[in-house]
Amino acid sequence: MNEDIRVGVFVCDCGSNIAGFVNVPEVVEYSKGLKNVVFAYEGKWSCSVDALASMQESIKEHNLNRVVIASCTPRTHEPVFKKTVKEAGLNPYLLEFVSIREQVSWVHMKEPEAATEKAKDLVKMGVAKAILLEEGEEIRLPVGTDCMIIGGGMAGMTAALNIAEQGFKAYIVEKQPQLGGILNRVSNVSHNHINMPAAEIVKAKTDLVKANPNITVYTSTDIESVDGYIGNYKFVLNTNGETVNLDISTVIVATGMREIEPEGMFQYGNDPRVITQLQLEGLIKVWNAECGIGKSEIQNPKSKIQIQNVVIINCVGSKNEERGCCSIGCPISVKNALAIKKINEDINVHILYRDLSMVKDEQIHLQAAKAAGIKFVRFPGDRYPEVTKEDGRLSVDVYDLLLGSEYKLPSDLLVLTVGFTGDETIDAIRGHLKVSTNKEGFFQERHIKLGPLDFPSDGVALCGCAKNPKTLKETQEEGIGAAMRASIPMKNGYIEAEGIVADIDLTNCNNCGICYKRCPYGAIKVDENEEPSVIKALCKGCGLCAADCPKECITIVHYSDEQLLAQVEAALEENPEKKILGFVCHWCALGGVDMAGVSRLQYPPNARLIRVMCSARVPIKLIERAFELGAAGVLVVGCEFPTCHYITGNYACETRIKRARRKLAKKGYNTDNLWLAWCSAADGPKFANTMRDMVKQLGIG
Amino acid sequence: MPEEILIIGGGIAGINAALNIADYGCKVYLVDDTASIGGMMARLDKTFPTNDCSICIESPLMYEVDNHPKIEILTNTEVRRVNKSNGTFTVRLLKKAKFIDEEKCTGCGACMEVCPVSVPDELDGKIGGMRKLISMPFPQAVPNVSVIDPRCRYGKMRDQGACVGGCVVDCSQCRECPIALCVKACKEEGKDAVLLWQSDKPMDIEVKSIIVATGIRSAEPDTGLYGYDIYDNVITNTQFERLMNAGGPTAGQIIRPLDKKHAEKIAWIQCAGRGLAKGLPYCSKVCCMIAAKQTIITKEHDASVDTLIFYNDLKAYGKGFWDFYQKAIENGVKYIRARPYDVFEDPETKNLTVRYENLDTGEIEEEEVEILVLSTGLIPSDRNKRLAKILKIELDNLGFFKEKDPLLTPLETNVEGIYVCGGATGPIDISESVVQASAASMKAVLRGTE
Repeated sequence: MNEDIRVGVFVCDCGSNIAGFVNVPEVVEYSKGLKNVVFAYEGKWSCSVDALASMQESIKEHNLNRVVIASCTPRTHEPVFKKTVKEAGLNPYLLEFVSIREQVSWVHMKEPEAATEKAKDLVKMGVAKAILLEEGEEIRLPVGTDCMIIGGGMAGMTAALNIAEQGFKAYIVEKQPQLGGILNRVSNVSHNHINMPAAEIVKAKTDLVKANPNITVYTSTDIESVDGYIGNYKFVLNTNGETVNLDISTVIVATGMREIEPEGMFQYGNDPRVITQLQLEGLIKVWNAECGIGKSEIQNPKSKIQIQNVVIINCVGSKNEERGCCSIGCPISVKNALAIKKINEDINVHILYRDLSMVKDEQIHLQAAKAAGIKFVRFPGDRYPEVTKEDGRLSVDVYDLLLGSEYKLPSDLLVLTVGFTGDETIDAIRGHLKVSTNKEGFFQERHIKLGPLDFPSDGVALCGCAKNPKTLKETQEEGIGAAMRASIPMKNGYIEAEGIVADIDLTNCNNCGICYKRCPYGAIKVDENEEPSVIKALCKGCGLCAADCPKECITIVHYSDEQLLAQVEAALEENPEKKILGFVCHWCALGGVDMAGVSRLQYPPNARLIRVMCSARVPIKLIERAFELGAAGVLVVGCEFPTCHYITGNYACETRIKRARRKLAKKGYNTDNLWLAWCSAADGPKFANTMRDMVKQLGIG
Repeated sequence: MPEEILIIGGGIAGINAALNIADYGCKVYLVDDTASIGGMMARLDKTFPTNDCSICIESPLMYEVDNHPKIEILTNTEVRRVNKSNGTFTVRLLKKAKFIDEEKCTGCGACMEVCPVSVPDELDGKIGGMRKLISMPFPQAVPNVSVIDPRCRYGKMRDQGACVGGCVVDCSQCRECPIALCVKACKEEGKDAVLLWQSDKPMDIEVKSIIVATGIRSAEPDTGLYGYDIYDNVITNTQFERLMNAGGPTAGQIIRPLDKKHAEKIAWIQCAGRGLAKGLPYCSKVCCMIAAKQTIITKEHDASVDTLIFYNDLKAYGKGFWDFYQKAIENGVKYIRARPYDVFEDPETKNLTVRYENLDTGEIEEEEVEILVLSTGLIPSDRNKRLAKILKIELDNLGFFKEKDPLLTPLETNVEGIYVCGGATGPIDISESVVQASAASMKAVLRGTE
């Protein structure tokens, strides 16, 4: 690098928050002596408007091309300072943030000298990294306005309508000959006091879809292949034997679900009187059409037997080791029982259940069912009812948990409330889009709480029963919500990634494929020669690939090996035998460190922390280097399981640390001195305790 | 029609709606009547069914909102009047004084250190949580500034030792305060951000859509329900959540609030108060998983603690919920299908004996525990009535905001252009709130595009 590096160091007093415990003038003086530092300044409140203005003046006046801020915490204040240096004409990636309030003054209040020494070290580390910083920029990837919706059920149609309303193009692919999905097989839908024939709802929605000029529907169509990523998808469809090629920008997955066949259970398959809830929905449709509502006799068309006694068994094949609660069985059984009673109130209906899962408004239907004379019998989970056949008659033996007795219920129609699983195309689509599914056969969203409508890969949204079984109301909400998620990049015309991204140098690459396989975001692609490349706009900068690359071909901009190494070496230049070198992830671990600071938890000042975006960024060679330089201990802190801002970074870190221990042991280092901790952003006490324990165990107090 | 959108409520639903809309390119006013955004989720310890740390996953979103050029956060702000004409909403907001210059305050905490008066915290008071009269809503608060309890001003807390106790001048009359310790401390820090004389400020905005995301609250049991408010160690599930939280009043130690004893046996009563004359007539759907979560976390803190859950119907309806319930059982939580009918306290040990009918055996049985947690369910926010009147939208018979046609056009209210999402619609979990927030934001930006 031929550039003349001119570093400016701005140390903040934060009133007396820092200056009260750290000798700030001494830190400033010290900074001036550091390599490449041409300017150092003590500010009372660096984040105040006037101080920011004077910082900009100093940058210009002293021609600074690197800035180190030593103040509070990057978690809250980095954006402010980035903006400030940018306005001063400096690339914001040339700023390095050093935390001397949360990590020093607030946690070493009783040891001002040690605190000052630590602050100096942290500034030195910051300067060492700053010297190596390079300009960066946000990376944009253009995104068009064509959205592919896989699945033409209620979720897919709702999503398509919302996409189309914005003037974007929506394409619906449906493998069935008609739209409507599983709702086509349902008789009535009830919510609150509303009860509507499902066919009406499907028709109304289908009409809207067909009338919309921005929506193209492909029914009886399969997806042959999908290639690409957001903004660049190439879909090949097979519609009635014809091949269609489409260029697509974003994708919404709405493939729905199917009922599980309860083959061999409760005589299902052997006796036509035993049916599932969806089959019952079909019968109710027929009965409603034939008899209308009112007192009428109904027949099972298959068995031709007059129906007098209906028994419904809930939780068939659910709530056991293999499968959980089917989510919607209880309200469906109650709804269908009420429908039967509406056709003929003299029919006896029993619902046999384990737990009645009826929430909020569904309570209304439960009360209506009880008022209509529907009988509810609770059986224990370890003692399911049994079906017997005598003289051609079916009956159900059930143990009533509440009465503590067993009795026999005659049954002309036995309805099994079974669970659901994802559509049969789920595996194919998983392969096409490189997304994941769970053991129950549904797609797995990005985050179960905060990313319910997204996949980890940008530009692919998820909605409806393809995610898990849900009501029609929830399905439509998800359809609309997924449309929003897919619309944001289409509306902007691009997606943007922060400049902290991976960069692959192919010189030493041996095409092992580890980076491609491990990237949680599908941001690394391999071409026909198996050469990897990064789609930078999709990269989130976690650094997992860089730390795992056996040939060290991958650099993470702003967190490169050289930059981190410079920090390690600066930290351990003096008295390494007294020091703990720590790597903390930006999201949770640094949050915990900050929390310890805000809570003024006092702990020993031995640690020198290096911030990385994710604990998965920490390569073994840096840990090794720290021990080589004589560090008393090394600490790596990541997010508490299962939280990880980068989905699985902490798991990757855990595996790597195990490898690091083996490697260190071989080289003769004491692996007890390598510590790994998981700390949540709320858990200041845990970080403080880890510090205390570590200092005690290493005997460096 | 203006492009701006108003979101009322800065909890996880409001935050998500705001980020969606702002990322889409429209300007958002995110209004909350408390001093920080974050809502209920910011105060939880963990979230089911993964036990993610709640604030860890929420605070990055809060910072994102704070730094988003298209979002204006207005905390401590109430919606006072709304008029709709030609499809545009004119909204009168009232920004209530925090008695702090939000531009100048850096959240350093010097003012809190010198404040002489501690009062019970609104959320944590019943389990021993105290805060100063000048305080920070919580450590990760956004905006990260302190707020002054209005009771402090003008000598109103005289008997409790407030530093301005002896003053006879109304705070609003002064432009500086020679007495208040917080004012002095702030000046000593060189900031001068404490303004005891600050007044409420009205503000008018025009918006094209409004999203109501005012959330939900945990029901407070009636005095005497299973000994609540009478016996020391009967608490609600929300209070227990704070007890587990490292940011709570006990720094995450599961101890009894009064005698600080580490509890060795804890029981949960599910559906507490449900079906009673004044109790909830409906199932709040999340309490089963909350109890499972709380027992698992309790066991993580200390595996030797005995945990019991008295329940009736188990709701494990959502994705991953059944596995979570299984995990609780594997961790040694004892589920007892029971109807508890009486609780009494040992006056010496302050332990509680729960007498119940075991529904599996039909027998009357007893358990003695050291903390009894009541899972009380979720009820409408107390601001719903007033807000419904101002917005001219309807409430349902339970007090939640009513959707005009929940089945065909979910989240739309009887006023075109006003949408609801999250806990404002009824008991709901975080992921469903986020889904609804995305849907409501789509509807809000689409309004008027045809």
